[in-house]
Amino acid sequence: MAITVKRVSRHVEQTSYVKATLQGMASTLKQMFEPKVTIQYPEQRWELSPRWRGTHRMLTKEDGKARCVACGLCPSVCPSNCIKLVPGEDENGNRYPLVFEIDEFRCIFCGYCQEVCPEDAIHVGQHYENSEYSREGHVYDLERLMAQTHPVSTLWDATDPRGE
Amino acid sequence: MATKTRTIEVELSTSGLDRSGKPQRVPLVTNDGGVSIGIPEPLALEPALDGEHMLINLGPQHPATHGVLRLVLELDGETVVRCIPHIGYLHCGFEKTGEYRQYNQIIPWTDREDYLNAPGNNVAMALGAERLFGITITERCKVLRVIACELSRIMSHLVWLGTTSIDIGAYTPFLWSFHQRELIYQLLEAWTGARLTTSLTRVGGLMADIPDGWTDNARSFLAGFDKVLDDVEKLLTNNGIWVGRTVGLGVMSPEEAINWGLSGSMLRASGVSYDVRKDFPYLDYETYDFEVPVGVNGDVYDRYLVRVEEMRQSARIVRQALDRLPDGPINVDDARVILPSKTKATSGMESMIHHFKQVMEGPRPPVGEAYVAVESPRGEKGYYMVSDGTAKPVRWRIRPPSFLNLSAIPKMVEGHLLSDVIAINASIDVVLGEIDR
Ligand code: SF4
Ligand code: SF4
Repeated sequence: MAITVKRVSRHVEQTSYVKATLQGMASTLKQMFEPKVTIQYPEQRWELSPRWRGTHRMLTKEDGKARCVACGLCPSVCPSNCIKLVPGEDENGNRYPLVFEIDEFRCIFCGYCQEVCPEDAIHVGQHYENSEYSREGHVYDLERLMAQTHPVSTLWDATDPRGE
Repeated sequence: MATKTRTIEVELSTSGLDRSGKPQRVPLVTNDGGVSIGIPEPLALEPALDGEHMLINLGPQHPATHGVLRLVLELDGETVVRCIPHIGYLHCGFEKTGEYRQYNQIIPWTDREDYLNAPGNNVAMALGAERLFGITITERCKVLRVIACELSRIMSHLVWLGTTSIDIGAYTPFLWSFHQRELIYQLLEAWTGARLTTSLTRVGGLMADIPDGWTDNARSFLAGFDKVLDDVEKLLTNNGIWVGRTVGLGVMSPEEAINWGLSGSMLRASGVSYDVRKDFPYLDYETYDFEVPVGVNGDVYDRYLVRVEEMRQSARIVRQALDRLPDGPINVDDARVILPSKTKATSGMESMIHHFKQVMEGPRPPVGEAYVAVESPRGEKGYYMVSDGTAKPVRWRIRPPSFLNLSAIPKMVEGHLLSDVIAINASIDVVLGEIDR
């Protein structure tokens, strides 16, 4: 069951620092001929996985309005309480979000909002560069969420049945 | 300048009691009578201090303390007379926040407390909640969770190997091990959509099944991994500098290791074969074929050997798990805890109502309590939760292995040189997020 790890017993001659250094240099020199594993960001970019959970995006209906029906599921499931939703109702009795804001600064990108949304409205997406000069700049309102163009995560989506 | 030397006593905030039951006091010397909390002012170099002990702070902002750990060291020349660890700089209130979150909402929190072992923590949290609910998870889910746990063990040990070798002065193993870790990150990214904060599990199942072709990628990673580990070992195991800087440091005898409550690689390096996966198996670990490496001397060098061997054994477990991965659902068929699938929830009225109820109210476990211990890369990690029948736990508590492992550092560094404190501290593999929670 238990195995005892092997300890090397060594003579003093073996502990020569010169030998160790040369051996190490030989190993590292060999690496110079291996293929490179680094990428030169930002010229080269990392290709994100299709399931990537990054910056949010609100999908729209054919008429250009947000798909959100202000059901209130995403603000209540959000573990970091960073979604602000004020529901409204139009003359036909359809609910829509009067205010819908996500504070990307507080968001922990868990993706729960996308997981629970019954209208496939709010999505996390394949995008990660969202630095700003101020904290207020991180609060994305509905317009900004709808204006995002990056592809959305395929998690909890019919296009990725194994991720549903 | 005439130096007015005065000895004052400053009680350190986390000091214990000495043998006679009095609070431990640290003599401090200043030349102006002011109280200094051990900050090495230039006056510490004054000749008036000849023969006196000196207090220095190692950390909290020191790259070699692996986080915001502050060690107050009392030095006699360069020899450590006493070491008092100060913790709490990374306190985030995870446990308290957990009392205001549903069980599934706590899972993103477990990513962040021991941030090197996120998938393993997710699994442990889910296992705890499932014990509370009395749920048995599916076979496929079990095997996938084992894969996640073992990959995250390899990942965490790679970080340990890289950072420790940098602390001791070897830069190359750091680059090689971080490249391997990057490959595991890519696997996790493809599976969960995040690299570090995976939030992999849900109560009763997983967030998502592995994508197509994932097992092949995992196999090709494992194929290259053993070779890199061999290369790293070639650089370190027999290296005169490495051996000279690690052998005989921070020795813990088996009795001491048990008495100090150590667990994980720290305990096993001292020669005690205790592994939660073997002794209290969960996730069917008893059906996997793997060995528990134990050391002989309990020094920093043995901890290194044990961790390297553990990585090999973990890779072995992942291979077996990939071979036996059964088909089937990943989530239990239990409407109490599992959300209906998205397509179903948006098509039928009944599933829609179920979906809303589930999200708004959250799964409610019966009244009771549950404790689950798993073998995290740092040792025995426990999650304890108490339910009063509502959707949120009354108390959620973490048993952090590195907290107990760190508690032994005063004993281990005593009498060693200041530069060896770095090596000993690195060998504990502390994660301050888990200690301070
Ligand atoms: S990703 Fe998570 S934290 Fe961010 S808005 Fe959605 S639910 Fe909230
Ligand atoms: S869950 Fe979807 S539909 Fe409901 S409020 Fe959020 S974005 Fe709108």
